[in-house]
Amino acid sequence: MIPLVRRLAGAQRGAAFAGIVVLAILISPVAADGSRVFLQMGNLTDILRQVSLIGIIALAMTYVILTAGIDLSVGSILALATALVAMALTRAWQSASYGWHILLAIAVAVAASALVGTLNGLVIATTRIQPFIVTLAAMIGVRGLAKWLTDNQNIDIGFGRDVAAEFAAVFREKAIVIGAYAAGAVLFWLMLARTVFGRHVRAIGDNERAAEYAGLPIRRTKIWVYTLSGLLSGLAGVLYAAENHQGNPNAGVAYELDAIAAVVIGGTRLSGGQGGISGTIVGTLFMGVLTNMLRLNNVDSNVEMMIKAVIIVLAVAVQKVG
Amino acid sequence: MLSVLQAVKVAKHYGGVCALKNAHFELRAGEVHALIGENGAGKSTLARILAGSTIADAANIVIDGRTVTVQSPLDAQRLGIGMIYQELDLFPSLTVGENLVIGNLHFRERTLVSPRHIETFCRPFLERVGLACGVRAKVGALPIGQQQLVAIARALSMDARILLMDEPTSSLFDDAVERMFGLIGQLKSAGVAIVYVSHKMDEIFRICDRATVLRDGETIGTVEIATARVDELIRMMVGRDLKIAARPRRAGLGELVLRVDGLTTAKLRGISFALRRGEVLGVAGLVGAGRSELGAALFGMDRIQGGAIHVSGSIGLLPEDRRLQGLMMRMSVLENSTMAVLPRMQRLGFLRPAEERRALQPLALRLALHCDSAAQTVMELSGGNQQKVLLARWLLRDPDVLFLDDPTRGIDVAAKQDVYRIVDELAAAGKGVILVSSELPELLRCCDRIMVLSGGRLTAIYDARVATQEKIMAAATTPEFAEARP
Repeated sequence: MIPLVRRLAGAQRGAAFAGIVVLAILISPVAADGSRVFLQMGNLTDILRQVSLIGIIALAMTYVILTAGIDLSVGSILALATALVAMALTRAWQSASYGWHILLAIAVAVAASALVGTLNGLVIATTRIQPFIVTLAAMIGVRGLAKWLTDNQNIDIGFGRDVAAEFAAVFREKAIVIGAYAAGAVLFWLMLARTVFGRHVRAIGDNERAAEYAGLPIRRTKIWVYTLSGLLSGLAGVLYAAENHQGNPNAGVAYELDAIAAVVIGGTRLSGGQGGISGTIVGTLFMGVLTNMLRLNNVDSNVEMMIKAVIIVLAVAVQKVG
Repeated sequence: MLSVLQAVKVAKHYGGVCALKNAHFELRAGEVHALIGENGAGKSTLARILAGSTIADAANIVIDGRTVTVQSPLDAQRLGIGMIYQELDLFPSLTVGENLVIGNLHFRERTLVSPRHIETFCRPFLERVGLACGVRAKVGALPIGQQQLVAIARALSMDARILLMDEPTSSLFDDAVERMFGLIGQLKSAGVAIVYVSHKMDEIFRICDRATVLRDGETIGTVEIATARVDELIRMMVGRDLKIAARPRRAGLGELVLRVDGLTTAKLRGISFALRRGEVLGVAGLVGAGRSELGAALFGMDRIQGGAIHVSGSIGLLPEDRRLQGLMMRMSVLENSTMAVLPRMQRLGFLRPAEERRALQPLALRLALHCDSAAQTVMELSGGNQQKVLLARWLLRDPDVLFLDDPTRGIDVAAKQDVYRIVDELAAAGKGVILVSSELPELLRCCDRIMVLSGGRLTAIYDARVATQEKIMAAATTPEFAEARP
């Protein structure tokens, strides 16, 4: 009976997504050659590219939420990563070769981000303070760290021929951004469905006390989950810096909410234990198509937010009917 | 005699699973009526339908000659039906008094509720069930036996004339059971008709007037207890003769596998004992005596303040509450079974479901585990089968010492026999087994020795061949216990 309900919810999620796509096609403006703008390859890949950053963050957020946790610090970590990668590119290792320099800069940004996640996980797993509170504190503190490091300034990555510009040119490529999201999605799906770690994530979210009695490594699993969340936020930050040609300590504000929205629209329960990566991908694409549809039709951005609010609730409500 | 409640043609489906197809049941005024059957027979479902907490697909319910519909617990309350759930439906963070008045149609609410007002309302009902704790005690802080009395007091305060009790003694030790029987007798003479859902034959024969047997969602028949025989009832329940196996002769015990010296935790005081391979050591004691706490200490879940645990090998723990502490209810039978041995089920870092199924299959046969498929969630299984999934988890893990905390609580006769058989097999395979039980006959049947806890202390260890229920009860109620009580 339950697998049936789960399949039904999946079907409803699919139907809701198909519905929004059909609607987007129907109301899409028509280009000069008679084709629908929404369906043009350039537009479709634009959607994918636009959702990629939130999509990447939402992958790890799914793990966090499956363990009945939450990570509010992802937006701040993204900002920290943009700042670190930009600083490393423009102010350090100027004698290194371009390839090594770029690699080092990314590694520094992503490693620092993962470390913030590890700290989140450590505090959550050892003190048992609620994840909401711990990551709320991290959200504030890491934002402060990013602003302090950059002295409140954006760090520009120019358009010239230096290493920073070279980095931006490569990592703002649609293919790279979308490819990173696709690779992350496959990896995180596989990890959840087919590894011991993934099974532990679901088990802990389903019943943490039982997981304790079964002797599962609860602390280690939680620390890893938050580490992954930090790591993917850092990766998203690197892509953000490339796309916007700057390290920006004010980047990523409210990204945590977009990521959480994508996860819950994808059918993962905030109470943990139920949901998965495929749902989150659908949820992410759903948000992307919705935004794109509204923008193609020149809907005022404030109205766009109001419409989104209604649609988020509807999308989750539809899945409850099962 | 007058019939107070009649239910006919009761049917209920859960998805594709049929819980009840054609059940009927009649309750007479002032009787204690047992509702019995194996797990999944539908007796709890039937009780829940009468209590309004489950809505039937179809049912014809007549109360006092009037056809009624019961669509919610509130409907049931208006009709004078109260239910004591096996997993109590109390609010643990509210006080005893608040639990009694919440949602109670007979409590006249005022805009501002004063504690004194609640106290005056509750006092008579708490006295009636013999609950000594204060009205202002938090329910979550009470032992489970007292929580149950709170639930009964609540039903009484809702003016229940029909009381449905789902396995009320499953978590009680013998003295609390005696008190419960006394209470049932009192209620009966006060004209309350009681439906008693239970697996325990001795209880049914002691306190019930009639018994209705369910099997596979259908009513098999109703018998007068005065003229019924145990084997007759069991045959009606299982549809075949069931031999209750005698205690097997064990081969000689092996080497020492576990030695506990002066173990002291927040709840235990200087516990010392030894366990050999091939031995089954029973643990008896009243609720709150420290039985589960002993398991928690051995398994490393409670901080050890003093003493030492020497174990040669590993310890496994089958927890007391399979729903809260044992199973991941929304995960599958397969995933729950292999939970503690996952590292063994992988190759190159990836889990192999085929390997998992291969590991579960022989165990499912050995345990007589019944499920539609291994992909089914454990939520859908009956209590006995859920317990078997949990057993499968530990059998796969194959620890040297297995601590089984009340493994037969709330499971049916046939499943109990399966558990006893597994215990025998574990001992024969040279494991050390520690078996906690609230049923003394069960301990006498399964164990080589029985240790008795009282107030966190070990008060006696008996050879099971010479132990008697009287001796064990005496050790379980030694003065230390009284002193240790607040």
